[in-house]
Order: sequence, then structure tokens, then C-alpha cells
Amino acid sequence: MVSGIFAVLLFAIGIYCILATHNLIRVLIGIEILIKGVTLLVIAAGLKSGNLALAQALVITIIVIEVVIMTVAVGVVLGVHRHTGSLDARNIRKLKG
Amino acid sequence: MCASLILIPFISVLVLNLPIRGIKRLAFGLAVFLFLLQMAAVLIPDPAFWKINHSFCANIFNFELGADILSKVVLFCIAMVSSVTLFSAPAFIKNSDEKFNFINILLIAVCGMNAVAMARDIFSLYVFLEIVAVSSFILIAFNRDMPGLEGAFKYIVLSGVATVLMIAGIALLVLIAGSTNFSLVHYMLITQNKSLIAGLAVGLFIVALFIKSGLMPFHGWLPDVYTSAPAPASVLLAGIITKVAGVYALVRIMVSMLGFSVSIQSILLFAGAVSVILGALAALTQSDFKRMLSYSSISQVGYIILGLGSGSVLGIAGAAFHIFNHAAFKSLLFINSAAVESRLGSRDIDKMGGLAKQMPLTSLTSVIGSLSCAGIPPLAGFWSKLMIIIALWLVGFKSYAVIAVIGSVLTLAYFLVLQRKVFFGKPSDEFKDIQEAGFSLSLPAIALAILIVVVGVLSPWLLKGFILGFVPVLGG
Repeated sequence: MVSGIFAVLLFAIGIYCILATHNLIRVLIGIEILIKGVTLLVIAAGLKSGNLALAQALVITIIVIEVVIMTVAVGVVLGVHRHTGSLDARNIRKLKG
Repeated sequence: MCASLILIPFISVLVLNLPIRGIKRLAFGLAVFLFLLQMAAVLIPDPAFWKINHSFCANIFNFELGADILSKVVLFCIAMVSSVTLFSAPAFIKNSDEKFNFINILLIAVCGMNAVAMARDIFSLYVFLEIVAVSSFILIAFNRDMPGLEGAFKYIVLSGVATVLMIAGIALLVLIAGSTNFSLVHYMLITQNKSLIAGLAVGLFIVALFIKSGLMPFHGWLPDVYTSAPAPASVLLAGIITKVAGVYALVRIMVSMLGFSVSIQSILLFAGAVSVILGALAALTQSDFKRMLSYSSISQVGYIILGLGSGSVLGIAGAAFHIFNHAAFKSLLFINSAAVESRLGSRDIDKMGGLAKQMPLTSLTSVIGSLSCAGIPPLAGFWSKLMIIIALWLVGFKSYAVIAVIGSVLTLAYFLVLQRKVFFGKPSDEFKDIQEAGFSLSLPAIALAILIVVVGVLSPWLLKGFILGFVPVLGG
């Protein structure tokens, strides 16, 4: 129950972090916090339903995948920095959306 | 057999990167051979062939894989679009090292997509979706230019949010079912009555996959990504990656795991109808060739979701057939846009005109692609749209069937605008000395156009067996 509350808390912090900043690295940190929150949720679900072994296997895989995604994402941010010389998200609004 | 479709591309990437002199030159030929092999393997109807499971493979993959007709349709599309992408790549990627990197990433993406098509477990589905997503981030930013990096960053953020929602859904399923296997979760969802948590999990999965497939409330990233990616990468993205990672995954989860209920169906039908109409209306006003095709893609994904939302065997079969058709005509049209872009150096359709004389092959194939997309008989797109509309009518969603017909008329409207501005009308002086695009762009276009016509003409004879093949998919 406690870990469920912390998961929701981390989720809220992550969303605030993504919405409140213009820094590209901070947006990535926000996504990381979101993923940490749901990872905690997986553990909590495993504990509650008595499937801790399954939850453990899932969490380790999730951690590996998020590292891979963040590596590529930081590579993209480095590329943006090389072009514009800054990490401001307002520089990447050329496309119309 | 299922496992080898994942293992062979993966092992070939490893082998190609061994430090052996001259092995890099084999990459193109090996990739073409693998894709042709996959297309041939899918056409083998013998079910025993698909159940072969060598003990070596079984030891590596101790999760369930399976290939029913829905998976096979997607596997065929993956091989088809990937080979087309491979042929069109040399026109845009000149450097041989870059070409080698492109082929490697393409093979990893194909490996991930094959696995998504055959996964029978929600967690391994998530893992393979991430493999596809990571390789598509790299493909979008392949040229390391500013639009590509911007598109890739947008896709990373949106895909990250979709990932988070999906893991939350998996956590809720672990809570109520204690497992991640499709059939076990399906059984638990039917027998147990914990409706609130189950409903929340279903909602999370639907929103996550709506984001990944670019349906209308969550479509913001899709035109940017398709437009900013380099031409061969946008063929792959529009033709197959978003269809496998978003649309097929949604169809598979609905059909095999969550099952249909009235409220889920009404959400799917509403989102599909909104995408069909608004995507087509947005496409009408675009002046960028690729951006127009991107909005058309949103509109066509709406049709697939409408077919899924009908919840009947005919509707699911129509959705699968439309995934195939979309892979064929959208990659054809993106190759046409690549051909025009490579000759003119511009994608602004307001400046073009009269290219039909200078680029006859591109013009002819794009007419076939557009007509198939608009659903004109006897081309292949007509039959899938007809199946979806009949399925909606038979189940009783008559207003949605009417919306689907209106959407088809709008599709024809924006493709007429496109054709008139690009290929017909007055030739502009600026582009007088344009010639037909090279061999590497015309050959895939001709092959896809022939495929569309042949499948369309043969459909009346093949469709009955195709639809009946979907009865076991929905039953189990």
C-alpha cells in the first residue's frame, strides 16, 4: 500500500517535471522519474498478489530497456546541442505539430 | 519456426559486424535474401511447419510464440516494406559506411517487429515494442540534421509516455491475474470480477497504443516524425513501424487478451471515426507532399480501428487486410514522394506541376496507389474498405458505416488535389529539365503497384478463405 502511494507520488513529480521545464535533459529526467514510479507499481502489484518472483523478473527487464532508451535519447539531445549550442526546448519548435 | 524468424535477423547482424575483411559488402544481398525468405515462409500454409520448435530455440525463448493468420499477414507486410525500403535507400544514402549502418538498424527493427507479430505474452510484447521504438529513433535521426533530431526527440517523449502507461497497465494485470500470458490473463479477466481495476488496465493499454499508432487525439507527433525523417526511413515508418507497434499491437491485445465489451467498442469506434474524418480534412489543407501523406496515414489508421471496433470476424479480417493494403499503398506513395523529392529537391506541392510528362512511371504508380487508398474498385484498397463497412453495417453501427463511406470520398478528394498539383496541370518553368527517378526508386514502385493491382483483381476468389481463416483467431 505504501509503495503504491509512493508510485503515484513519483508519477505526479515526473509529470510536473516534464511540463514545468524547457531543458531537454530535464524532460528526459522527468520521463525517468515516471518510469521509476511505474516500476515501483509493478513491485507493489507483485507483492500484493504474491507473485514477487515474476515482478522481480519484469522489473530487471524494464530497467535494462529504460537504460537503452535513455542512451539513444541523450544521443539525440547531444545532436541538438551540437546544432543549436543550447539545451532549450524552445529551439526545437520548427515543426508545426 | 517462429523463433527462427526472430533469431536469423539478429544473428545476421552479429555476423555482419564480425571483423572480417569484405563482409560489409555482403550486407545488402543478405538482407534482401532474408526478406524474400520471410515472404516465402509466410506463404507456406502447412500448420505443422509453423509448430516446429527446435530445442535450441526453445531454450533461448522460454516464452510463448505463435503465428495465426493475423500474425502471418503482418509478417508478410514487414518483409515487403523492409525490402522496398532497402531498395530505395541507396538513392538517398551515398556513403557506404552509412548504408551499412542503415541495413544493420533495419535488420534489428525487422527482428523486433517479427517478434511483436508473434508474441503471445504482454510483457514480451512490451519488450519488443521498445526494440522497434529504439531502432526507429535512430532511423529518424539518421542524417543528424536538425528536423530529424527534433522529430526523434518528439517521438522519444511521446513513446516514453506510452511506455509508462503500458507498464502501469501490465502492473495492474499482474495484480489481478498474477500472470502476463495472453490466454491466462483472458481467462482471469472473464472469471474474476474485479471490474474497476480491470477497466483501468484496459484504459491504460488503449491510451498507450493510441499514442503509438497516432490516432486523432494523440496524433501530434506523427506528421512531424514522418516529415522530418529521411526518405527511406519515412517509407519504413509510415508503411510498417507505426502499424506494427501501434495498430497491430492494439488489435492483438484486444482480440487475444482483453476481449470486447460495449464500452470498449464505443471508444474504439469513436476514436476511429474522428481520425477518419479529421485526418482526411487536415490532409486536404496541406502543401507539403509528405505531410499530406502523413495525415492520410492517420485517416487510414482510423479505418483499421473502425474494423477492430466492430468486433466481428469480418471486421477483424477487414482490419488485417487494410493493414496489408496500407503497407502496400502508403509505402508506394512515400516512395513516389521520395522520387519527386530526389529530383526536385523540394516537397512543396504548390510549386510543382505537370510532372506526368517528365516522370511517367512515378506518375502512373502514384495514381494506382492513390486510387487504392481511396477505395476504387478493382484495386486492393476497395475490398478491405468494403469489408470494414459491411462489418460495421451488419453489427448495427450504421452511422459509423456512413462515416466510413464519407471518409472514403474525402480521401479521393485530397488525392485528386495532390495529383492535380503534382503530376497534372501546367508544368512550371523551374522544373523543366527533370527526368524520371533512378532505377532504385522506380523498381520498388512498379513492384508495389503490380502487387496492388494483382491482389485487387484476385480478391473475389481469395477473400472467402481469408475471412474464414480469422474464425479461430477470434475464438481462441
